[in-house]
Formats: sequence, C-alpha cells, structure tokens
Amino acid sequence: MEEFNKDMLRKLAHNVMFDLNDQELEELALDFKDYLKQLDLLNKIDTEGVEEMVYPFETPTTFLRNDEESHVLSASEALANAPKTSQGYIVVPKVVK
Amino acid sequence: MRYSDCNKTLRENVMKSYELASASQEKLNAVVTFADVEKQIEETIQDETLPLYGKPVAVKDNISTKGIRTTASSRILDNYVPVFDAAVVEKLKAAGATIICKTSMDELGMGGTNLNAYTGKVNNPYDLSRISGGSSGGSAALVAAGVVPMALGTDTGDSIRKPASYCGVVGFKPTYGRISRYGVIPYASSLDHVGFFTTCVEDACVTLKCLAGRDDRDMTSSYEPVGEYDKNLNSDLNGKKIAVLDNVLSSIKDERIVNEFHQLMKKLEDRGAVIVHVTMDENLLQTLLPVYLIIANAEACANHSNLDGVRFGMREEGNDLEEIMINSRTKGFSSAVRKRFVLGSYSLFTENQEKLFRKAQKVRRVIVDSYTSILKDCDCIVAPAAATVAPHENDSVDEKMSDTYLVAENHMILGNMAGTPSLTLPYTFIDGLPVGVNVSAKAFDEQTVLNVAKAIEEETQLEGKCAEV
Repeated sequence: MEEFNKDMLRKLAHNVMFDLNDQELEELALDFKDYLKQLDLLNKIDTEGVEEMVYPFETPTTFLRNDEESHVLSASEALANAPKTSQGYIVVPKVVK
Repeated sequence: MRYSDCNKTLRENVMKSYELASASQEKLNAVVTFADVEKQIEETIQDETLPLYGKPVAVKDNISTKGIRTTASSRILDNYVPVFDAAVVEKLKAAGATIICKTSMDELGMGGTNLNAYTGKVNNPYDLSRISGGSSGGSAALVAAGVVPMALGTDTGDSIRKPASYCGVVGFKPTYGRISRYGVIPYASSLDHVGFFTTCVEDACVTLKCLAGRDDRDMTSSYEPVGEYDKNLNSDLNGKKIAVLDNVLSSIKDERIVNEFHQLMKKLEDRGAVIVHVTMDENLLQTLLPVYLIIANAEACANHSNLDGVRFGMREEGNDLEEIMINSRTKGFSSAVRKRFVLGSYSLFTENQEKLFRKAQKVRRVIVDSYTSILKDCDCIVAPAAATVAPHENDSVDEKMSDTYLVAENHMILGNMAGTPSLTLPYTFIDGLPVGVNVSAKAFDEQTVLNVAKAIEEETQLEGKCAEV
C-alpha cells in the first residue's frame, strides 16, 4: 500500500491548487487509510466484462441547433462578479515575467 | 403550510412568509440570504391563474438566482451574485412563485448533516438541539417550520430525502434528467438531481409539473413528456406490488422505527397492496458509500476547478496568478471540502484511474443492475428513510469513509446511482421526532411514487404537518 506522508499529501493538495495545514494533513492521512481499505470492498465485486457507468441513462441527446443567439450575457454582466476589471478585461498580476 | 393555505393576496402571503422566515432565523439559522422582498413581489408575474401565483418559496443556495447572492454555503462564493436565473428558477417565476430567501446547505452540497455550512448548523424545527440533516437542510427546516409551502433542494446522495426524514416533510427527488440542472452549482454531475420539499403529496404533484421538462441547456435533461401528476393522483393501491428492502430493516437498531414501519405496511396491505420482501447482496450494498464517495469526490474536484477567485468569488491576493488561486482556494474552501478534493483528485490520477475511479464506475453498474432488476418485478420499493430520528450534532455521522457501515443510513444513494425517482415522507413520530419512509419506482414513473406516497399520507394523516418554532 502506498505511504501517505505529509510531503506527498501536500503535493497532492498543491496539484489541485490549495494548501493544507499540519493538522489537516494528519487527518487526511487517516482518511486515505480508510479510503484505500474500501478498495477491498470494491474488489470483492466481480466486474469482469462490466462497462463503466458514467451517467444513469444512455439516452441520446441533441446538440445541434440553428445558429441563433439565445441566453446571451452582456460584457458587463459577464464581468460583474470579477474581483478586478479594467477596460473589459479581468485584471490579474503579470503572468509573463 | 400547504399551497392552499396561501389564500390571501400575493403581498400578504409573501410578507407573512418573509416575516416568519425572519422571526425563525435566530432559532433555525436556515437562511443564508434574505431576498429584497419588495423587488421580488414587484417582479412576480401578475396572473392569478398561474399554478404558483401568490406562493412564497425558498431556494437552496446552490441554485443561481439573478440578483440574489448565491454562495452554496461556501466562503469562496460569499460575494457571488448571479447574473442569470437557473432553469428551475425561471420555471418557478413563470409559474407565478415569489422567492423570499436562499437557504443554508452543506458547503457545495458536500455533506449530509448541514454542519458543513459557512453560516453554521441549521437547527431541527422539532428539537433545536438536533440537526436538520443535509445537504438541503435549510430548505427542509423552513418547510417543516411552516415558513414556506415549498422550497427547492438538490440531491446527490440523499440530500433531499434524508433531511425530509429528519424534519418530517415530503422531500422529492424525481428521475435524473426530469428537472433541468442548468444554473445549479454542481457537486457530482452524474449523481446530481434537483428536487424540492413540500408538506403534502398534492403540493409535490403541482410543483413537479411546474418544474419538469426538457431544457437544451442541460444535456442530461430528458425529452420524456411531463405528466399531469396532480390530475392523475390516485391512492388506490389495489394490486400494487410494493417491495420492502429487507437489508435496510435488518440494519436498523431502533425497534420502534421497524415496528412502526411494519404496521404501515400492514395498512397498505389492507388497502389491497401486495407486499413482497426483497434483499440485495449485502456485499454489494457494502460498496454503496465507497463507490458513491469515489465518484462524487472525483467529479466534485473537476467541477470546482473554476472556483479560483479570478473571474468571480472571493479573491485573496498573491504575487502571481498561481498564488492568487492557491490563497483563494485555501481560504475559500473549508478543511472538509479541501480534503475531499484531494481524495477525488487522487482517484483521477492516470495510474489510479483503473483501480479506483473506473472500478467504482463499474461497481456502480453492478449495483444499479441489481437494483433495477428488483424494480422490474414490482411497482415500487419502500424502506425507512433513516435508521434514527434526527441526531444531535455530536452523534451525527456524515458521509465519510469508515470501517463501520450502515445500510440503513445510505440506501437512498441507490436512487442517485440509478437515477430513479425517490420520495421521502413522514410516517411516524418517535419521542416527538419525525421519521420518514422512502418510496422509489422505475425511471420516469413519478406518478407511481406520488400515488403510493398519497396512500401512505392518507394512512398517517400527516398531510400539511408543521412544527411550532
């Protein structure tokens, strides 16, 4: 079984763009222990030849429609919730250094 | 409160509910944001013939409401004000309803207690020291307290039906795709459903008819025609085959809950129903919660990657874009949610996908095949909706991995995995606290669920029952 030390868990958290403090890392290590134990339960189930179930139903849906505008947001509406904007753009710190 | 109790003018009905919501807030803590009620009244379509005209309603806080703050009970969305209505809100408004408030929930829907809400615990109207259940706890509590006749909820793994049991109201999650999810902040896309709470089955029929139907903006919404659920409501159980899921009953320790359930089944039998007892493979049921959590955490991690404080939401400063995102997400999500995201992300790693995520998806199919094969031979499946009455905060068991597993606490996840319609309504009171019975049927057979629920309601006489708060 994989070893879930703090460094590895911190790296996993950084991969999904946040931090965890020491106490959270300790709790998460315990969660992982339980998480992987559950694999034993799953492995008891024979899934040979079984297709993954991605959605409850496999009913076809239609994506094609006439190229007509519907449910349009204005630029000001689209930017209404951005923390910082300027001249129709969202402002963030300089990306290219 | 039933729809029929809203029998005064629109303004009087709405103001009464608004005042009740305000007055109950200190006790229940069910509301995240009160709407500008004057503005909502002004914008209500003035047409008394509309089915929900003059009906004040509450909306779970993960459902987008144009101009009304929508936080999903998460700090990261604390300042978010949608610029559009969710499809289900559009439908409510088109039916004449007036929104009075947004209700508390477990953060981003991730939980079953409503203790994981940024605004804190929601209190159970029947005993304020107990939990409401979650994740749609605020909506359940407001309907149970007689504040509004109907409140919207969402249900990813029993998040409507469990709080309905704890709060003693009708909680209905129709078939996957029956109600559009456009504009709903997602949790896990393959399991998420929109539904609602009412105090009686008739109101549930009216509500479903208003909210159901295809919406091109939600690719999973269904083309199946919408029924005349209210007109076709029929509580005649003669010859109806009702299957009791025995695995659930055998895992409930409180004999009073089991005995009351058997008495209810006897009454349904006396009405002409054929009661049959069925079981599912216990090993398979043991996998319900882990399969659910593996799939839900993985889908949630992907769905919420856009919550980064850049385009919307609470931004924390940083020296570069990456630092802004990390700081915003670290401060914006609770510890419980961040831990779930790590678990979810882990199962999506290329090297883990086969043994974790895909394995869970395959086991899901085995579970669903087994469940639907039972449904094929009967009209509906019933079982107690919970193993206990609403617990106290410290006794509550949230959705988490552990060695101990209680089928009775998690069996309603079957309805999310299979997408089948599933409704909880109260059937008894134990020590003054409600307990719910769950009724589930074949996909898109909402009418049978409602008909059987109506028969149960006639037996229990709990139609319209509310708590004094």
